[in-house]
Amino acid sequence: MLILGIETSCDETAAAVVNDARVILASRVLSQTLEHAPYGGIVPEIAARSHLDHLDRLVAEALAEAKVGLAELDGIAATGGPGLIGGVIVGITTAKALALVHRKPLIAVNHLEGHALTARLSDDLPFPYLLLLATGGHCQLLIVEGVGRYKRLGTTIDDAVGEAFDKAAKMLGLGYPGGPEIERAAGESSAADRRRFPLPRPLAGRPGCDFSFSGLKTALRQSIEGLRPDDLDGGSPKRAVVAAIAGAFQDAVADVMADRAGNALTMFLERYPDAATRHLVIAGGVAANGALRARLAVLADKRGLRLVAPPLALCTDNAAMIAWAGVERLRLGFTDGLDFAPRPRWPLDPTAPRAVGAGVKA
Amino acid sequence: MTGPTPAAVLAFDTACDACSAAVWRDGAALAREFVGMARGQSEALLPMIERVMAAAKLEFADLAAIGVTVGPGAFTGLRIGLAAARAIALASGKPAVGVTTLEAIAAALTPAPGSLVVAIDAKREDLYVQQFAGGAVWRPASAPIAQLPAAVALPAGPFAIAGDGAARLYAALDGEARARATLIADHALPDAAVVARLAAAHLVSGETVVSPRPLYLRPPDAKLPQDGGRIRVTPMRSGA
Repeated sequence: MLILGIETSCDETAAAVVNDARVILASRVLSQTLEHAPYGGIVPEIAARSHLDHLDRLVAEALAEAKVGLAELDGIAATGGPGLIGGVIVGITTAKALALVHRKPLIAVNHLEGHALTARLSDDLPFPYLLLLATGGHCQLLIVEGVGRYKRLGTTIDDAVGEAFDKAAKMLGLGYPGGPEIERAAGESSAADRRRFPLPRPLAGRPGCDFSFSGLKTALRQSIEGLRPDDLDGGSPKRAVVAAIAGAFQDAVADVMADRAGNALTMFLERYPDAATRHLVIAGGVAANGALRARLAVLADKRGLRLVAPPLALCTDNAAMIAWAGVERLRLGFTDGLDFAPRPRWPLDPTAPRAVGAGVKA
Repeated sequence: MTGPTPAAVLAFDTACDACSAAVWRDGAALAREFVGMARGQSEALLPMIERVMAAAKLEFADLAAIGVTVGPGAFTGLRIGLAAARAIALASGKPAVGVTTLEAIAAALTPAPGSLVVAIDAKREDLYVQQFAGGAVWRPASAPIAQLPAAVALPAGPFAIAGDGAARLYAALDGEARARATLIADHALPDAAVVARLAAAHLVSGETVVSPRPLYLRPPDAKLPQDGGRIRVTPMRSGA
């Protein structure tokens, strides 16, 4: 089974060809980071324009690299949401048109399901497993029970974790995207440096698996505004101070994530006490953070689970994961019509209560 | 003696408050659908294309080209049409030809003496406007531009106003200009059958066909943050 995947829900335009033997025949990703960088965040209209400008060429390149013609495909998968709707529309419309001309099944993929199933593409994991999905748009803990079957244990009730990294980096005058910049700066600080900036651990120690990052963001702002004159160099914090605050912030995020994931592990083991295989999967762009991975590896190990983190190129947004989700769905006969309506909000677990403060992120 | 098989063109428009698709061959529409809608083109377009192709009894391989409106219009709407056109072009190996919404509206109108101003409602304060000069057909007499109704440059002499922004432009005219103006209520939105005819004409004229590009007429709304959003610290607040 050969599937073309298309991803356009955020700031990466991507096309990939994947087969059901878990082989990625081609995976093209064009990042728009430089186009959005001056704004310190993603501008939806710039993203949508860029997707349209590049997507057809990327599809052609991916097919050429895979040495596959559209006629040889078994289906065409594209992200149908959730995400920035202007971009999703470009991708899903492209997929619909390709599917119509070649009479192929269309598979509208939930972007979050793409992330959630990636560990089965990279590591051939069996169901069920516990998933921490940490991206620029989401922060959730889920039990992945099967294709299309998710039990949400917790979600952010305000900001997504990647968004929190971006906002923190912006306040500190670091670049965008914020995650790698914060991690780099944090690496320049010692534990003693970081202790100067005590930051809260929102919701830590409380029952449940929800996340909250807005209070942490406010505390970070207050730490910066309260800096002493000798911390500053012309109105901005000195690099060593930036490094210490970035480190304190990263520590706080890692503590919160580990605390919430710990509660989720307990719930997972209660629900599946006899699971033959026990895995904690971290997916999404924030999985690239080394400090976070290290903390979760220790946590999982203590509780008798193995931490699985797919390769970084499959954690950040890509089309191979969408093509793979297409493989998984088409194998079960799940296809969509040419009248599929793109969804800005599309929870993996529709039975989970809506986190009002998080809007489309929950 | 029979000539070569007439070239068939599939065209569609989703750039304004409608969704339309048509198959054109040999000077006539073989099939055409037009549905007014302010949103929902993303769901409506591909099934509509499937229906008009079936009604015309044609395969994509039978087409000579795909015609599409490139704007100006709703940003999301024009991207739906362009994404579909570029993907059909990729999948069928046929060229896609871009036509502006303004020329599509003008081409639907019977040429007359005097001038024509086509105005499309930008759904904001301004209008998308272009002037055309009469003759055998309406020919562009100015470049497409986004302008406030009161600032639109008007032709000399009598002129007609068309498009879904025509009433707003007419309302903004002063007495002197209004005396020269005729408001046209018909053909206020682009029609895929006209887009197909224009695309077929482009092909016949032998113009080089490149992948159609969007005509937005306006940059994205985005403000650069001051100092990149970095917090400026006032040293007055010292001590911790």
